[in-house]
Amino acid sequence: MAVQDATSEVLVDTLERSLRNRRIAKHVGIFLTLTLLWELGSRMGWLDPLFYPRPSNIIRSFWLIYFQNANVWFHLYSTISLVIIGWVLGSMLGIGLGALVGFNTVIRRFLKPYVIVLEATPRIAVAPLLIAALGFGVNSKLAIIMLVCFFAPFINTLSGVINVNEERLELFRSMRASKTQILRKLVLPDAIPVIMAGERLALTAALSGALVAEFIQRDKGIGSLILVYTRNLNMASAFACIFTLTIIGFLIFKGMEKLDHYIAYWKYEGGRERMSSKRKRTMVEP
Amino acid sequence: MVKHEQSMAAAGDVVVSGLNVGKTFAAGTVVALENANFDIKRGSFVSLVGPSGCGKSTLLRLVSGLIEPTSGEIEVHGTPVNGPRADISMMFQKATLLDWRTSLENVLLPTEINGTPSKADKNRALDLLKLVGLEDFAFSFPAQLSGGMQQRVALARLLQTGADILLLDEPFGALDEFTREHLNTELMRIVAEVRATAIFVTHNITEAIFLADQVVVMTSRPGRMAKIINVDLERPRPLSIQTSVEFNKLVEDVRETLGAV
Amino acid sequence: MSVSDQPIPLSGRILDIGVRFLPHFVLFAVIIGAWEISVATGLITSIIIPRPSAIWSAIVELYITEGTIYRHFFITLTEAVVGFAIGAGVAVSLAIASSLWDPFRRYVTPYAVVLNVTPGIALTPVIIAWFGYGMGSKIALAAIISFFPIFVNTLTGLVQVDEDREELFNSLGASNVQVFRKLRAPAALPLMFAGFKIGLTTALIGAVVAEFAQATDGVGVLMSRFSFQLNMAASLATLLSMTVIGLILFYSMEFLDDRIVFWRRESRRAAASRARARTWAAQAKK
Repeated sequence: MAVQDATSEVLVDTLERSLRNRRIAKHVGIFLTLTLLWELGSRMGWLDPLFYPRPSNIIRSFWLIYFQNANVWFHLYSTISLVIIGWVLGSMLGIGLGALVGFNTVIRRFLKPYVIVLEATPRIAVAPLLIAALGFGVNSKLAIIMLVCFFAPFINTLSGVINVNEERLELFRSMRASKTQILRKLVLPDAIPVIMAGERLALTAALSGALVAEFIQRDKGIGSLILVYTRNLNMASAFACIFTLTIIGFLIFKGMEKLDHYIAYWKYEGGRERMSSKRKRTMVEP
Repeated sequence: MVKHEQSMAAAGDVVVSGLNVGKTFAAGTVVALENANFDIKRGSFVSLVGPSGCGKSTLLRLVSGLIEPTSGEIEVHGTPVNGPRADISMMFQKATLLDWRTSLENVLLPTEINGTPSKADKNRALDLLKLVGLEDFAFSFPAQLSGGMQQRVALARLLQTGADILLLDEPFGALDEFTREHLNTELMRIVAEVRATAIFVTHNITEAIFLADQVVVMTSRPGRMAKIINVDLERPRPLSIQTSVEFNKLVEDVRETLGAV
Repeated sequence: MSVSDQPIPLSGRILDIGVRFLPHFVLFAVIIGAWEISVATGLITSIIIPRPSAIWSAIVELYITEGTIYRHFFITLTEAVVGFAIGAGVAVSLAIASSLWDPFRRYVTPYAVVLNVTPGIALTPVIIAWFGYGMGSKIALAAIISFFPIFVNTLTGLVQVDEDREELFNSLGASNVQVFRKLRAPAALPLMFAGFKIGLTTALIGAVVAEFAQATDGVGVLMSRFSFQLNMAASLATLLSMTVIGLILFYSMEFLDDRIVFWRRESRRAAASRARARTWAAQAKK
């Protein structure tokens, strides 16, 4: 039942393999050739530069929006701060409710139909409604981000809590562990990896949620900037913003990976070794 | 172990006893265990052997208090079993270690369940890890250990509780033959050292006889205790004892009992 | 555990379902009742939260008396399905090519990863500029954002094959085509369908978000129109149709999944086994 990230080991593996073995030069070569073809195509008049901006113009736009006009910073700050706050609040709510529902069979039974309905509804579709209800501004943006963030941590915490390993549960029962002990020492740590997978999805969703909110509100944020540039047919700058989001997306991906290594350390060779020596030190020193 | 003939109270050194114990599942449609009577003496090693579905694991879980009998009664140290208890410790076929804890922390788990571990508890856990030959792996995580080593940690955890009755449910069943033989020898040594009473479930006849003072042969459909065989081989037992004439006569006996049904 | 082979009479089954769902109905009625009363008595401001009875009359109006929803409903449904079909077609073809031809996989992977970390939603304004205000842009966005989960799941399924089975095929002297047709492709089906389910959900999101941004028809348009008229009841009634689209999409994929990947569930296994026994018998007669 848990929702998993689509990013697979296979892709990361291939990526690492293809970036080794002196293949980098080939990759860069192909990329540059494609870029050059695009540039040439545009200059030869095969691609309308009004709609399909030239690579050289995109690079120039990067310089414009970041340094010459430096107008992107304000919007970046607005988007990123809302995404982080909304993600933290929304996913905390999701984890909390997920655990609550997971432990209470009665609530779980009654909530099931609502979860099915909620799962089928595109959550982001509620955006106009929330904006109408809460008005333009930060409140409705935050509400939208929290809403799209909520679901993955909720459903993953729920399934992590429900799918406790039977044998381990039997072990705890044979040791006469109390309910709280089973929760604290078995269920929650066991659910951490799957909760983390939910958190990663939630952060990605948060960014999309913020963009949709900004498209509708058109006041500030990277989403409204993309919209305005596109409306003015300044496609090069719109693409510079989109590639900025690529970089943010990549940082989110890497950051969540790091966080996972830190929190669910026992899943990774390096994490195990780090904690192993750390615990040895704390045991020996005092 | 003798069939339940004399009264339960009379035998002073009996630590586990059962009277007409039965267990059915699925609203009585599946009889897992029928009319089991037994007395287990202090410090003895008892093997339960039989094919799948003979109720040997069910019997073990009944003694542990994880499940309740449908009929009859089980007593441990003279008091009826009605739930998991402190004087009983259990080990499973899978090591069931917690991935996020080091070996030492896994061994300390039962102590933590009963309160905050003291310095002495920690030292005891380290001693037990030494006893099972894992002193160098006290701070390793389960994923860094082999299957055999994980079971050794589980064995140390079993002993950490301080319980004098040890229930072992095919503890080395998932391991390869060599590791299993080695760990069985270790198990015999350790159980003797801590003077515990052990009930050991297995479907391996050789293993059952090699370890035990008494072998309970169980048959299936419905699960019942078919025969109790005393193993009067002297201890300590070397592995080579398995080729002796007496040992093979016992193997023959178990096979006949299993085949006769 | 039922032993009886006798079919339970229909009336009995309906009664059974009724009894099973009765608590749910009761709870639902209580929630609706409490909601209605608290809005009616002014406990909740009704501009933000409409009364259930108002939502009900909006539903009646939209779906029955005026029937305005249906045109928009089918437009959004079409956008999502066509977009999904295009995205899935491209994704599955690329995944097959990547699994068969390693160099291709190496050179395609970096772009797939870049596409994955970029929030597809960010492309909305650009896609609308490229494909216009009609259905084309909605289909394009749906296709783009449903592409990645399908691609990565299919590729993972095709590549991560059980080594023992592969060894078996090699020992039998199977050709690459045979390994693909008889081993890799069937083994990839469960993951591929998991990808399809995610892809359908994201395709619907893509269609709706593109409608928010700029469109004349579709439930997304209705949704934002009603929201900004502060007609919350109609807005929620429209949201219901999105849930219905989501449920239709999800359960039709589930239906296909269940029949094509029949070997995961006992009831489906039994049905497939009976069907094959019949085919076998029919052939034996000839």
